[in-house]
Amino acid sequence: AGGGGGRSFSFKVVLLGEGCVGKTSLVLRYCENKFNDKHITTLQASFLTKKLNIGGKRVNLAIWDTAGQERFHALGPIYYRDSNGAILVYDITDEDSFQKVKNWVKELRKMLGNEICLCIVGNKIDLEKERHVSVQEAETYAESVGAKHYHTSAKQNKGIEELFLDLCKRMIETAQVDERARGNGSSQSGTARRGVQIIDDEPQVQSSGGCCSSG
Amino acid sequence: MSLKSERRGIHVDQSELLCKKGCGYYGNPAWQGFCSKCWREEYHKARQKQIQEDWELAERLQREEEEAYASSQGTQGAQSLTFSKFEEKKTNEKSRKVTTVKKFFGASSRAGTKKEVQEAKAPSPSIHRQASIETDRVSKEFIEFLKTYHKPGQEIYKQCKIFLDAMHHKRELSIEEQSECAQDFYQNVAEKLQIRWKVSPEKLEKAMDQIEKYIMTRLYKYVFCPETTEDEKKDLAVQKRIRALHWVTPQMLCVPVNEDIPEVSDMVVKAITDIIEMDSKRVPHDKLACITKCSNHIFNAIKITRNEPASADDFLQTLIYIVLKGNPPRLQSNIQYITRFCNPSRLMSGEDGYYFTNLCCAVAFIEKLDAQSLNLSNEDFDRYMSGQTSPKKQEPESWSPDVCIGVKQMYKNLDLLSQLNERQEIIVSEAKKLERDLIDWTDGIAKEVQDIVEKYPLEIKPKNPPLAAIDSENVENDRLPPPLQPQVYAG
Ligand SMILES: Nc1nc2c(ncn2[C@@H]2O[C@H](COP(=O)(O)OP(=O)(O)OP(=O)(O)O)[C@@H](O)[C@H]2O)c(=O)[nH]1
Ligand SMILES: [Mg+2]
Repeated sequence: AGGGGGRSFSFKVVLLGEGCVGKTSLVLRYCENKFNDKHITTLQASFLTKKLNIGGKRVNLAIWDTAGQERFHALGPIYYRDSNGAILVYDITDEDSFQKVKNWVKELRKMLGNEICLCIVGNKIDLEKERHVSVQEAETYAESVGAKHYHTSAKQNKGIEELFLDLCKRMIETAQVDERARGNGSSQSGTARRGVQIIDDEPQVQSSGGCCSSG
Repeated sequence: MSLKSERRGIHVDQSELLCKKGCGYYGNPAWQGFCSKCWREEYHKARQKQIQEDWELAERLQREEEEAYASSQGTQGAQSLTFSKFEEKKTNEKSRKVTTVKKFFGASSRAGTKKEVQEAKAPSPSIHRQASIETDRVSKEFIEFLKTYHKPGQEIYKQCKIFLDAMHHKRELSIEEQSECAQDFYQNVAEKLQIRWKVSPEKLEKAMDQIEKYIMTRLYKYVFCPETTEDEKKDLAVQKRIRALHWVTPQMLCVPVNEDIPEVSDMVVKAITDIIEMDSKRVPHDKLACITKCSNHIFNAIKITRNEPASADDFLQTLIYIVLKGNPPRLQSNIQYITRFCNPSRLMSGEDGYYFTNLCCAVAFIEKLDAQSLNLSNEDFDRYMSGQTSPKKQEPESWSPDVCIGVKQMYKNLDLLSQLNERQEIIVSEAKKLERDLIDWTDGIAKEVQDIVEKYPLEIKPKNPPLAAIDSENVENDRLPPPLQPQVYAG
């Protein structure tokens, strides 16, 4: 719609997945358009933000990388509480990493119910020849758990913009449904505490998407 | 009483002992030279003056607001706090202070009688002076800040006052309920600012920070580590746990920082300082800022060591290490306090929130840590925990680099000494061998000589007889012709 009635949303998205599936590569590609950059100036790739403008709605996206080592597994709930979205990444050449995704989905649904938007991401599609997870199986599974499936390559910068854009749209929708359910106007206390901040902001604040800040 | 001091033989000018006010009673340096009665009066006066000043500021804001409101709305008169209500609150605040002082003096405070309360009153001015100066400074700054917001500023001030008043009456509620109230307050103020006053997001964020600072500076002493919770017990448990884990090395945690690099060890020290400093702050937001500063030092340490951006695993591992090394005071209390009373939008999705969440993870990890978490066998883990052995002694290569340079040098020297010792032993044994060889050799020679001597025995012949007897034993002499006889020839 552009212009009028600009609203602003803040979303927290957690990244989950086995080691080496390409989580860090995905976010760095998305936020800084870098891949295996030897002269990387980024101080850290664990918390990155991106500002977007989707149809006049401003979105502040905070992407939280999570420690993936097995010994940190029990800490998962501390990381993902209050998140609006989760990106579950597997490596298409690694069957095990897809099994891990299934475990995460179970856990997230158990702890957060349907409030969280789930994305299942098959990364490294540039290695199609070595694929070990069938497209059919992955997509069917995603549908069965109410998640969306995406194919990406951090190396070739494929499918990443779409993934995040789509996720943001879904999160906006969820937030609005939430708000309507609470009866418009003074929303219930739960909203802010879940980190969805809905702000009527003045139109001059930021230019449209693409700008990003980190650390 | 004057007799007493004379008897002790201390000569003090009478006037120095008396109350500065000249009331005739004795003064006390603890009350700045006043007697207890005059000190109370003086202190009360100072407080009263402060309250008056505070009030005048508030009143002015209120008046300005009312005028603005009246001019815009015509008839509707703005509801204001009455002076008496304000007064009442201040007085309440004072009596509350007394009870907190008593808290310092131990658990018996609950059974306190009226009389005890009276006695406790005396030290309150000196103890609380510092805190109340700070509180007043924050209030002044807050009011100054709100002036830049004009009308919404006055609205904010009013809301805060009402909230603090309400909180005062909720002191008996559980801490969770009080936290709920604070969270509702943040949300309501934020909504009012956005919807009614159309404040921009940037200004909103700033205002929310200031509001948090103002109200939490005032509430801190009642809601930080309250007696009604287990917070303190948990603090002590974590502290003890960390002390018991003193033997954990950076290698066991796979910490991606190399403290042999001076800049890196510098960063590590700074990170530890930051995380320890957190406890000294009163405002949740300031506490978060300490965590964020600590995190940035960690990222720098990783960056210098490895020259690539730190991942979530790198960061968490290093943070765990920093927490173990620093053993920051009242960790659980601080975490709980921030969770309960921080402005939620900052905590949930902001950068500070991410680092805070990692700190929560680090503490949870430390609490549950076992042999598998450190890739150790159960036996080793138990032995280290019980203090029977320390991993440092077994593998000198993995000494935690935290030992100071002097100690490191000492270990190096010890190493050298033991090497020297080995060499010395080798030399001694070589010398012994040489000695043995020498002995063998001489023995050998002796034996050889002996053999030769045996083989060729030495016969010593008797000495020859004197010349006269030379012939006597000469057997063949007999066969010799008789010696020529001298013959005489006639001639
Ligand atoms: N061919 C190919 N390689 C990729 C792709 N994405 C990531 N990689 C490689 O996979 C490896 C792991 O990538 P990371 O981004 O570090 O993986 P991660 O999931 O963050 O791993 P952890 O931080 O250890 O959990 C790196 O060597 C990347 O270069 C991709 O799309 N295609
Ligand atoms: Mg990574």
